[in-house]
Amino acid sequence: MARRFRFGTRRGGSWRVVYLVVVGVLTSIPVAAAQDGTPTPVAGGTMVVSIASDPGHFNPAITTGFTQHVVADSIFNGLVGLDENLQPVPDLADRWDISEDGTTYTFHLHPGVRWHDGAPFTSADVKFSFEEVLLQYHSRTAAGLTPVLAGIDAPNDLTVVMRFTQPYAPLLQRLDVTEAPIVAKHVYEGTDPTTAEANLEPVGTGPYRFVEYAQGDQVTLERNEDYFKDGLPYLDRVVFRVIPEANSALQALQQGEVDYAWNTTPAQTEILASAEGIATVNAPASPGGALCINTLVFNLEHPPLDRPEVRQAIYHAIDRERMLEQIQFGSGRVATGPISSRMDAFYNPDVATYAYDVDRANALLDGAGLTADADGTRATLVFPHPNTFDRYGEIIREQLGEVGIEVEDVSLDFNAATDRVFVERDFDLGIVSYCNGTDPEIGVRRVYDSRNIRPIPFSNGAAYRNPDVDRLFDEAATTLDPAQRAAAYAEIQAILAEEVPYVWLIETEGLRAFSAEFHDFQHWSGHFAETAWTGAGG
Amino acid sequence: MSPHLTRYVLRRLLQAVFLLLGVVVVNFSLIHLAPGDPITLLAGDGGDAAYFAAMRAKYGLDRPIVVQLALYLRGAFQGEFGYSFAYGRPVSDVILARLPPTLLLMGVSLALSTVAGVWLGLVTARRARSALDRSVLVGTLIGYGMPAFWAGQLLVLLFSVRLGWFPVQGMEDARQDYRGLARLVDLLRHLALPVATLSLLHLALITRLTRTGMREELSKDYARTAHAKGLPAGRVATRHALRNAVLPVVTVVGGDVGTLFTGAVLTEIIFAWPGLGRLLYDATLNRDYPLLMGIFLLVGTCVIVANIVTDVVYAWLDPRVRYS
Repeated sequence: MARRFRFGTRRGGSWRVVYLVVVGVLTSIPVAAAQDGTPTPVAGGTMVVSIASDPGHFNPAITTGFTQHVVADSIFNGLVGLDENLQPVPDLADRWDISEDGTTYTFHLHPGVRWHDGAPFTSADVKFSFEEVLLQYHSRTAAGLTPVLAGIDAPNDLTVVMRFTQPYAPLLQRLDVTEAPIVAKHVYEGTDPTTAEANLEPVGTGPYRFVEYAQGDQVTLERNEDYFKDGLPYLDRVVFRVIPEANSALQALQQGEVDYAWNTTPAQTEILASAEGIATVNAPASPGGALCINTLVFNLEHPPLDRPEVRQAIYHAIDRERMLEQIQFGSGRVATGPISSRMDAFYNPDVATYAYDVDRANALLDGAGLTADADGTRATLVFPHPNTFDRYGEIIREQLGEVGIEVEDVSLDFNAATDRVFVERDFDLGIVSYCNGTDPEIGVRRVYDSRNIRPIPFSNGAAYRNPDVDRLFDEAATTLDPAQRAAAYAEIQAILAEEVPYVWLIETEGLRAFSAEFHDFQHWSGHFAETAWTGAGG
Repeated sequence: MSPHLTRYVLRRLLQAVFLLLGVVVVNFSLIHLAPGDPITLLAGDGGDAAYFAAMRAKYGLDRPIVVQLALYLRGAFQGEFGYSFAYGRPVSDVILARLPPTLLLMGVSLALSTVAGVWLGLVTARRARSALDRSVLVGTLIGYGMPAFWAGQLLVLLFSVRLGWFPVQGMEDARQDYRGLARLVDLLRHLALPVATLSLLHLALITRLTRTGMREELSKDYARTAHAKGLPAGRVATRHALRNAVLPVVTVVGGDVGTLFTGAVLTEIIFAWPGLGRLLYDATLNRDYPLLMGIFLLVGTCVIVANIVTDVVYAWLDPRVRYS
């Protein structure tokens, strides 16, 4: 059923309709019930997926790396999944109970699940995965759960109990295949999980089995015939092709060599929009990076940035609509605060806002006593940033220049820029894509909590200190009551919007481009291909 | 080999060991002094202080750099080059997996451009100032001046997107599982554009070198004498002049053999070719110290060996060259 490369022709054509019908008739595998008006999924076909870098290994439990998860998540499962609104749905756990006081979670596992090598999946695998792998090597899960987790019990093969030292609300939001993939105890026991042979021949429970890896080139997965979700997956094969250059990935997509591209860029939006047979989606989340906000970091330890009026003035001086249009090409939204507007349960829109207003910025700077010298310069700020943010650097330098603030724009590679801002702390302005994650406790708190001012990447880079904010974060984290949590987060957002330790620039989205012959992706998840199918025979 | 030459080669090899030691020490210091932290890659955006401390200890990054260097050298002498941070596998495995694609791409392109370049140089030298000579001259100048990323994109636009003759990216078709001859044909189709891109620059250089050398040799007395005694012009060129004219070409090709293993970063990126150049690029961005060191060591070795071989070939081609 594999599609052949055709010389110089666009995909499509009437034979394809015939083919689709034939495939539909010949396919005897039961398919999920289709809703009225939506096409019925058919089984079969190959999907070629472009990724920007080489995954190197396939153990999703030892890394938060995007590329590793985009590939390996299809081979594994979490206890729970996340739906389109990033809310928990069953995965390896069919259902769960939470104790009255919010300190104990009991998970009831799906019966009859087997690892790809045929061994049965049990609660012992879950306990092992957390204790021996995730809490040691999955940096986000280790940092989030270690301080609050009291213990994990496996009272019987199909039950897992997680006990906490305090009520812990965000647990269900951090158990999906990206945050807490479950690996096999019988495969990893007694090995160093970072160098185990099994990392190259992964054994999972997921929708696709590992077939082959050609380093730096491609990874081939095939349908798991024994997948525990009936009828899934639909595709016969998924091939991940490493294509580092976004333009090459786009051309490969247009030529039909690739069906799904993880690495197209907003700058390609226009070309994609006019390309025949290609669909695009802006997803608010990616494996490992949900609800991200491009954020300008003030070094509050460097005058004059220790004064709120100066920071507010800078906020007013930056035209974020222009950034959205010229850098993101309309993909995403102008941010209003530390919590993404897409996090419905906790987002507070009623906060101080800072429209682009040069006069107001100048007035605030005058009021702060930051007067211009003979050259018209009020202050000079050093702005080291990763070269992926060069366009932001240009606009910020230009616009702050208009209010008399000279910006020394230093473009570095990602690793060096991160080191300079968070470890060396040799900066006045920095820029970071801070991701909220699926709960404020996961990705928001670390940026503002004064106890997280550390020489560690992506911590509280501004060195912002406010005891009230710390207290409110604690309050929100130790109750399960959604209303009480929402109230605490609302107050935090109001305080931060007044004090502006950071400028929240743009809520970004992930652009996905794919062949219009493919349907029903979970674009926001590592399980993006679990429900995908093609009408073209692949 | 004469005893002189044997002794010469042995001495060069001994020097090479110390040279390599220098390569290791200098590169090790340089990459550890460069800003950036390999744990940043491993931690992603979620690591806390405990995670950073644990990973530093696990990889020995918490020890003084001199101790790290000593440990690395001890391992290297035993053939242990450590584990890549990003791949979690022995550095030698990671590098070896990339060698076949690199050697294929670089070898084919070097061989093709050398043969074609010498031939073009020969032809144009014998028809100096003709229309053919001028067009080759202009063509090679353009080829030499075009950056690889631009030339590559142009070739893709014309031959893949417009004409549909060749695929845009990769080394093999992702959908098909070709075997035997079909696989070879598929591989060659994928090889065509990256080889063309890489060859442009090299072809220009070899053509110009050969042409200049031939022009000079053909104007010398011995060539005129050969003509005078009635040898056909083609024979004078190929049998007499070429052997002398080709010496600088040997130097250039010898130098390029050394870089055969480093791959070609830009070309590999544009065509998604899974070679060593891209591995080096990724390792640099990730601060994957052990992998970087492994690649530097390989490249250093190849360049040194290629230089020695070039010098020996020189002596063989030109009997006047004597080493002692």
